[in-house]
Amino acid sequence: MRSKLPWVIALCCASSLPHCMHVSDGIELDIAYQPEATPAEIRTDMGYRVRLERALIAVGQVKLVPCESLASHFWELIGPARARAHELSTPTSLGVPLVLDLMESAGMPVFAGTLRPPPGSYCGIRFTGMPADEDAEGLTEESLDMMRHSVLIVARIEDGVSAEAWPVTVGISETLPCELPFDEPLVFDRPVLEGVSIAIDHTAWFDGIDFAEGDAGTVQRQITDNIRSSLTALRSYGTSGL
Amino acid sequence: MLAALLLPAGIAADAYACGTCSVGDPTLTIVGFEQPQANRFRTSATVRHRNDRLGEPGVDELSLSEQRMELAGAYSPIDRLTISLMMPLVHRLVTAVNLAEADIWAPGDMEMRLRGVVWRDRKFAPRHLVSLIGGLEFPTGAVETDAEGVALPLEFQAGTGSWDPIAGLSYTMFLDPWSVYVSSVGIFPTKGTADTLTGISVRQTVLSQFQPWRFLGFQAGMEFRIDRPGYIGGVRDPDTGGHITYGTLGLIGLPHEKVLVHATAALPLIQRLDGNHREGFAITAGLVYEI
Repeated sequence: MRSKLPWVIALCCASSLPHCMHVSDGIELDIAYQPEATPAEIRTDMGYRVRLERALIAVGQVKLVPCESLASHFWELIGPARARAHELSTPTSLGVPLVLDLMESAGMPVFAGTLRPPPGSYCGIRFTGMPADEDAEGLTEESLDMMRHSVLIVARIEDGVSAEAWPVTVGISETLPCELPFDEPLVFDRPVLEGVSIAIDHTAWFDGIDFAEGDAGTVQRQITDNIRSSLTALRSYGTSGL
Repeated sequence: MLAALLLPAGIAADAYACGTCSVGDPTLTIVGFEQPQANRFRTSATVRHRNDRLGEPGVDELSLSEQRMELAGAYSPIDRLTISLMMPLVHRLVTAVNLAEADIWAPGDMEMRLRGVVWRDRKFAPRHLVSLIGGLEFPTGAVETDAEGVALPLEFQAGTGSWDPIAGLSYTMFLDPWSVYVSSVGIFPTKGTADTLTGISVRQTVLSQFQPWRFLGFQAGMEFRIDRPGYIGGVRDPDTGGHITYGTLGLIGLPHEKVLVHATAALPLIQRLDGNHREGFAITAGLVYEI
């Protein structure tokens, strides 16, 4: 029995061998919102002067779109919009709701989160604005009405010629999906850290609108179109850059 | 004349060195399948490779590649009882969908088993053995944690961190050159690392062996495993539970009187595992040393 004892002791000692874990990062894509700095007054291409009093946008989801499924996402875009209180986060989507107060924007990026997508080619980002839920980041006592709106604008418009001024309030309560294509596909085939900024140029939201002539519905429709076209996805090559 | 004098000594030396001969049967058996014989002591080193996929592809799938070296010793104090102790050293590579990797080297959970022969057809060179199996898996595996010291999920652990009793029954038939081993073993886990309760697992093994030569045998068999679902913090883990059947093919050889080598390949034939859980090809190779 004595000759067996060293074997038993050796086996028991093996359980106290050191352990180690090495973790290496995979493909990571930092997402940030980059609104333009808000000027005291915006001059539109139709000659109107816009003084913003409130400008808020609520983001429900940001989703990385694989190149092969761009067509299917197009169908989602033209299909009926569906609002969900809290989207799920996946390796290719951020479902953390966020309220951006553009009046506080000084042109600095706001970090949204990090996507960890599988290898593949990605051709764009799908941005979905939707009314915020109660635990949305950036939701304050003053912005509780963003639980009913995707975008809320309160402004004072002044005609540059007649100097006539009037208030405008635009509240978009529907889900606002926008497809933002990249200049060239984002190809991931190995672990890498990249960054994408979603630029928001709200100084262009009032372009092409004749406030004196258009009714409230027309103005809202044109502003909605302008919001969509004011969003662009910009890549930060090789680094998070955020 | 000289040869005649040395012959008995040669036979005696062979008989002493040949562990399989000393139990009255030439069947080559790996540790755990053998016939108990008083004071028989065997040690073994076994290397296993397997891989798993858990989770929804492209979403939360984890790909696991595991290599284990199991160091074991089995001692029979009497003809009807074998006590074995097994200590695994585990290497695990976990890959996430975004190619992030966790490379883990750690000792796993030690296992002790008792196998008692409750019935045999005869004392010397029995052809039929029925045994009861009992054991316990100890939580000796190191616990891997994140930067905040919180234990990582079980996929990142070399052991379950739980005390797991083992109970089962086995039947062995030795009819040279054929042998058959049938066992049914249940593992009854308790709560372990990361508040995880692994489900009860019942494993059936049916293994037949054909040994045309004293030094080489061929094995073919089936391994069936049925698992109850596991729970994490009281919530069911959707990717646990179900059953799987492997087909196995193996070789067992005796390159030296005291050394036995074996290798087995296992291919999943029927997978009915719950949720998103796929198990892959597994291979085992080992060496048994008779002391």
